[in-house]
Amino acid sequence: MKLAYYPGCTVRDKAVHLDETTKASARELGIDLQELENWTCCGATYPLTEEKIANLVPQIRILRNVREGGNSQVTTTCAFCYSTLKRANRAIAVDDLRRQRVNAFLRDDDPVRPYKEQTQAPADYEGEVAVLHLLEVFRDGFGWDRLAKATKKPLNGLKVAPYYGCKLLRPPKEVAFDDPENPTIFEQFLAALGCEVIDFPFKSECCGSYLALSAPESASRLSHLILTSAVKSGAEVLALSCPLCYYNMDLRQRDISKSYPGFQHVPVMFFTQLLALALGLDEKVLGLDLHYVDVRPLLRQKNLLQ
Amino acid sequence: MAQVTADVEAVRGRLMPERAGQHGKVLLAGKVVNSEFAERVRSLSGVDPRECYQCGKCSSGCPMTPEMDLIPSQVIRLLQLGQEQDVLGCKTIWLCASCFQCYSRCPKGIDFSRLAEALRMLAMAGKVEYLAPEDVPEEVLTEVPQQALVSAFRKYGL
Repeated sequence: MKLAYYPGCTVRDKAVHLDETTKASARELGIDLQELENWTCCGATYPLTEEKIANLVPQIRILRNVREGGNSQVTTTCAFCYSTLKRANRAIAVDDLRRQRVNAFLRDDDPVRPYKEQTQAPADYEGEVAVLHLLEVFRDGFGWDRLAKATKKPLNGLKVAPYYGCKLLRPPKEVAFDDPENPTIFEQFLAALGCEVIDFPFKSECCGSYLALSAPESASRLSHLILTSAVKSGAEVLALSCPLCYYNMDLRQRDISKSYPGFQHVPVMFFTQLLALALGLDEKVLGLDLHYVDVRPLLRQKNLLQ
Repeated sequence: MAQVTADVEAVRGRLMPERAGQHGKVLLAGKVVNSEFAERVRSLSGVDPRECYQCGKCSSGCPMTPEMDLIPSQVIRLLQLGQEQDVLGCKTIWLCASCFQCYSRCPKGIDFSRLAEALRMLAMAGKVEYLAPEDVPEEVLTEVPQQALVSAFRKYGL
């Protein structure tokens, strides 16, 4: 199974454990992830005003490169990249004016070949590529049964709360990832790995996102709410997909402890780290030393780690 | 109820100091409704605030209301009434994290995040950016994920 892979900027620096475990797990499962050539930042947020047409260019340039590389699908693990690529793709497909304006901009944009050569610009991009989150690849392509069978070290007895956050689910009509009020894809994934799945009421609440920069105390309040809700529901570890949620849930616990006396640290893991663990991959791949809240004592206690 | 009345009065006092204490009175006149401003926000955002019938689902689902001075449905009501200074001067537009909880639940399909983005653009137009890199402590700049930097400066920069 060959699949184009868009890593995204954060997974190459602040969330290398998300990238490394994705690639190692895919290799183990026989999924041939092919990283795009010359990929750039996706723009992180989808532009919300009609005037910001230039902010649609990076996503469409990336998707056009996917198509030019002979692929009809591209996968990513970062919730921000997934959301912005998918929404831009849809905007181009349904909105004639935006399609024309963005393509006009991109006609002169060909960073691969030197400009002295007479080049033929790629054909206009019209939204042909399908943007998939890695969880969707497992659900719709690979299959939960096959994933469960490939699991060498099932994570039996590990109580994991899936945290979706905002970008994967909303706006539902544009992202169309899962039911926005009662999503189940993450639960199915964790169940396939053998985890005990813990449902909790704040699984699709916002973590505070980029308010981490402008209103960090609000981000602490929201992260505290989500983490304590998961623990009260019986979770031992929180699983997530977005590197920004990860920052707000993991490293932010340093600030939460200051603002909320008595708060007990809760380990947080990327869903691909749990996958790599269940596939029996080497501990070195997991990047467990990169967490602020150490998850290793819990995993050792559960006999999931040496 | 007395607390609610006091809260409403406090908000009203902040918004319209000249009418403090006149709880329950709605004073509207054609000359105070800035329809031109409401139209500018509509064309920038692609969202028509006049669609809103004030059910309040947006505000009840919004995770940021504890820090807001106006809740999202109040901003929309003031927008309908063209109250430019109130909506450009409120904290709410800077606290929206674009999580789309309000939009996904709105029975009228109003995307408040789009309205907030248009209002931020109008509030910053020709002025200074809301958040500059030098406003953020260096240790925060070095520890946050790249996607947070790009998003925050796209939302709060010029």
